[in-house]
Amino acid sequence: MKTYIKIALFIVTFIALSAILAALYMFNLKHTDMAKAKPDFVITASLLQKDFETDETAASTKYINKILEVTGKITLVKPGENNILSISLATGSEMTSIICTFPAISDPSKLKDGKDITIRGECSGFLMDVLLNNCAVITELK
Amino acid sequence: MKRLTLLPILLVVVTAANAQKYMTKNGFIGFFSHTPMEDIKGDNNQVAAVLDITSGEMVFQALIKSFHFDQALMEEHFNENYMESDKFPKSSFKGKITNLSAINFSKNGIYDVMIDGDLTIRDATNKISTKGKIEVQNGELIATSKFNISPEDYKINIPGVVREKINKEMEVTVSMKYSPLASK
Repeated sequence: MKTYIKIALFIVTFIALSAILAALYMFNLKHTDMAKAKPDFVITASLLQKDFETDETAASTKYINKILEVTGKITLVKPGENNILSISLATGSEMTSIICTFPAISDPSKLKDGKDITIRGECSGFLMDVLLNNCAVITELK
Repeated sequence: MKRLTLLPILLVVVTAANAQKYMTKNGFIGFFSHTPMEDIKGDNNQVAAVLDITSGEMVFQALIKSFHFDQALMEEHFNENYMESDKFPKSSFKGKITNLSAINFSKNGIYDVMIDGDLTIRDATNKISTKGKIEVQNGELIATSKFNISPEDYKINIPGVVREKINKEMEVTVSMKYSPLASK
């Protein structure tokens, strides 16, 4: 009888502990590290913009929540609230660009107007521009 | 249908071509709520906004998916359970400065503004009346405001157990750095 209680207690404690550990793990889960993530699509800034311009609904289904690796020329670098940084990539269109937002970035001085760059980020959709979030710099070309 | 939601912004841009427009595509909207367990904090730095300083009209548009949280799980819950961002991808505000004459847009300084407008989240629209500030700084405008909204007004379902732990209202912070829109 006593061993039964002991075993039961052991099992209950074990389950409770695993639940707490699992909850803590889930709670502290970080965002996907884009520098290491495998991209779903590799595309140029111009082509990406064109896809959204041609058929926004189809492009939304195709790209939203996906990891995109985008190459283009930087046209604008803008710091935002809470140390984030946004850059815009030129496309074939004058009105719309690809806006890529980075979490707090260690060395923003590398990102300059006119520079070609490849970034990886998660697509949030299209507003007036194609928006990418949680971005990381993959390569800076000259 | 999605193109329709852009219409307000385009209309403001197109109508009255010689009126003075200010614009940003990197505006900030954040919200914050404190709970005993954790702080709920989401930041969006990709807000598109247009302000017409002759009429005082303003439009904001934001993608729900552009709200960023420190914890990945919180961001997922926000998108999937609470905001259903696949179904309701956009949020918008359309409003007007009601004390426009108090602001001298050609003179550097910080001005108090009063704003009335409609906030749409999850296809539910409510009136918002708030105070804010506009700082005129060498041709650029820095507009800031803070107000509270209640999730229930926008049909955001929060389960009872969780609801008790969250403040009735969420604090919304708006900060826009507008640049003049090149006139045609």
